[in-house]
Amino acid sequence: MKLEPKQIAEFKSERQISAARFSHDGSMLAAVGYEPIVRRWAFDGKAVTPLPAIEGFHGYSTALAFHPKQPRLFVADSWGQLRCIEGEKTLWQHESAHDGWLRQIAASPDGSRIATCGKDGFVRVWDAATGKKLAEHQAGEDVYALTLTDSITFGDMRGRIETWDVDLKKKQRSFDASVLYKLDRLQDLGGLRVLLFIDGGKTLLAAGTTPQNGATPQSIPTILFFDTATGKLTKTVTHGTNKEGYVHDLVQHPNGCLMAVTAGTPGSGQLFLLDPAEKEAFHENKKMANCHALALHPDGKHFVVTSTNRDSNGNGKSLTKDGAYKTNTSPLHLFEV
Amino acid sequence: MNPLCSPRDHTLSRRAFLGGGLGLLASPLFAEAMKQRDKQVLFVWLDGGMSQLETWDPKPNTEFGGPFRSIPTSVPGIHFGELMPKLAKQMHKLCVVRSMSTKDNAHSSGVDRIQRGDPKNRGVPYPHFGAGVAKLLGPGTSGLPPYVWIKPGSGGFRAEDAGFLGPKYGSLAFGDGKPPDNLLRHPDISAEQDAARNELRQMLDQRFAKQREKRVVEANASVFDMAEKLMARADIFDTSKLPERDRDRYGRHDLGQHMLVARQMLEAGVRFVKVTSYGWDTHGDHFNSQTTMVPKFDQAFSAMLEDLESSGLLKTTLVICLSEFGRTPRINGHVGRDHWPEAWSIAMAGHGVKHGMVVGETNERGTEVKSQPFDIGAAFHTWYQALGIDSHKVEFDNAGQPLPIAHDDMLPIKEALA
Repeated sequence: MKLEPKQIAEFKSERQISAARFSHDGSMLAAVGYEPIVRRWAFDGKAVTPLPAIEGFHGYSTALAFHPKQPRLFVADSWGQLRCIEGEKTLWQHESAHDGWLRQIAASPDGSRIATCGKDGFVRVWDAATGKKLAEHQAGEDVYALTLTDSITFGDMRGRIETWDVDLKKKQRSFDASVLYKLDRLQDLGGLRVLLFIDGGKTLLAAGTTPQNGATPQSIPTILFFDTATGKLTKTVTHGTNKEGYVHDLVQHPNGCLMAVTAGTPGSGQLFLLDPAEKEAFHENKKMANCHALALHPDGKHFVVTSTNRDSNGNGKSLTKDGAYKTNTSPLHLFEV
Repeated sequence: MNPLCSPRDHTLSRRAFLGGGLGLLASPLFAEAMKQRDKQVLFVWLDGGMSQLETWDPKPNTEFGGPFRSIPTSVPGIHFGELMPKLAKQMHKLCVVRSMSTKDNAHSSGVDRIQRGDPKNRGVPYPHFGAGVAKLLGPGTSGLPPYVWIKPGSGGFRAEDAGFLGPKYGSLAFGDGKPPDNLLRHPDISAEQDAARNELRQMLDQRFAKQREKRVVEANASVFDMAEKLMARADIFDTSKLPERDRDRYGRHDLGQHMLVARQMLEAGVRFVKVTSYGWDTHGDHFNSQTTMVPKFDQAFSAMLEDLESSGLLKTTLVICLSEFGRTPRINGHVGRDHWPEAWSIAMAGHGVKHGMVVGETNERGTEVKSQPFDIGAAFHTWYQALGIDSHKVEFDNAGQPLPIAHDDMLPIKEALA
């Protein structure tokens, strides 16, 4: 189960990335981030090569999911757009799938449905082939994360997690992840970022951060393990100090180990690997600053971590050598295991 | 100098405000000054720096514009960020300056400079705007402390806010919007006993005064005066008897409830009310924090504007909302925006300012002011002039040394003045 990843290459990106995934056949890497486009790269096992970006989004492109069996990509933006893309072609599109910030997309294992959640407090299920809305549920709060299996599981800003049957008419289970939430003065600090089932659905992981105080904020990367049958919290794994911030991405390697990336105060950040049966990470890499996404290749031998350039923070006017106002970027780190 | 002014006018402007001779009572300028005694100020301070890009000056769909949409306001052509729907409906009451460009990006020096107007360094600490107003317009007829501060956390008297004006003009802070501990007379002490104690205190004060500096003695006495007045008006801290609807309208969060106390203070006639909200220094997870912080501000501030208008107080109250600076266009690795004094916004409403307008403009990327930039000194000139105080003629008296009340080299934001 224990892997020893080695970085084999680093590639530049023009802007910051918040989420990235490989296509089902591993030939393409796609990413969304702090811009209204989807960036794509071809992958040949050794390097990523830029492909034309997909445009026509608004605000930030915020979420993406590949179809598990077909070369289809589902992408959403912060103004509520949801789109299904194959190659350069848009197969279907909803300009207002949600009212504003669409936070996450999840595809069902068979690829027949996708689910979305948003700041508007709604969770929706769509037919993946046609884009027809199949069901919706009003969660009431800003819904930060979700995952779709035979049922749909979603969690909100306050760490309330619920599992509903597919037609969203009946709640099956609740999970209390409120440790991932704190109100600090006026600031609601919602720490949930990722929901992930492991052990064939027996365990639900809720990953993000345990907030300590607001503004910066100071918070500790956290993964909660819930027993799916009872809803009980069985284990809490924290990794790092209160400067390390959030687990922004968490995936499971085919061999069973968990792979997570974190970002906290600028300059901090890490990749860590964890055996789900243990409480301590067996691998840690702190050479990358502020990691936001981890895309695992279907071959299980490669993965890409997106970080942030080292000097990303700074009060006031930070200029390039040419005198232009600086923007930040997300270097792509290619690993081999 | 305006050739139409007489030398007497210039003498008058300073002396009148500093409590000059009775012979001046016949002056039209002094009569004007007397009218000004009914004017009030609400000063909303969002400590840490509000993001202009998510509020007053949205740049949707641009490189640094962030994830949110912009929405139309009640004034055609003017848009706010989508997180302020209630204030968008009240834009016709507001005057937004989008072209603030100040010097400091550090909290340690920025807070002080912004609240004191960043005047030229004359070797003495300048008063906060609230202290300046308390001095120049006086306490008003309410008898209540002229400069109160409603804030989360602890309270107390902050003499240092008065700068060279002397401790008497400091701010009286009410922590968590509550009255000071032990405000009310202890039940075991009768009114007669209390009066006797005060008489004794005043006698001792007179003895104390002979050996101390006048301004210290005045400050000491004013604290007791304030306490006495507050004892009589302890009701203004109590929002529990207000209709539930009012408490909900302002929001059950601390900013909402503190704003409600501020409304009561203004209704009671307090000259200058400052309301502080902390936590706006969003260096991390900025956009998620904005999704709930800005709507709470939107709720509380818009409820206040509605109520001030319906009570008629908006006609006589200058409303100001600002921060230490704005927030950087670029997003750091912690998904935060850092400190940005280069191009940011303030909002005003009420007495002396134009309504339903935006002054100034930033460039398309939100990185620079495109129109004429305004430093905080210009804002101080604007506010004093909105209150009817000629900020170029009127001077502070620093122990006999006249000092300008705002930065000598700056001018008011004329477009903003009614």
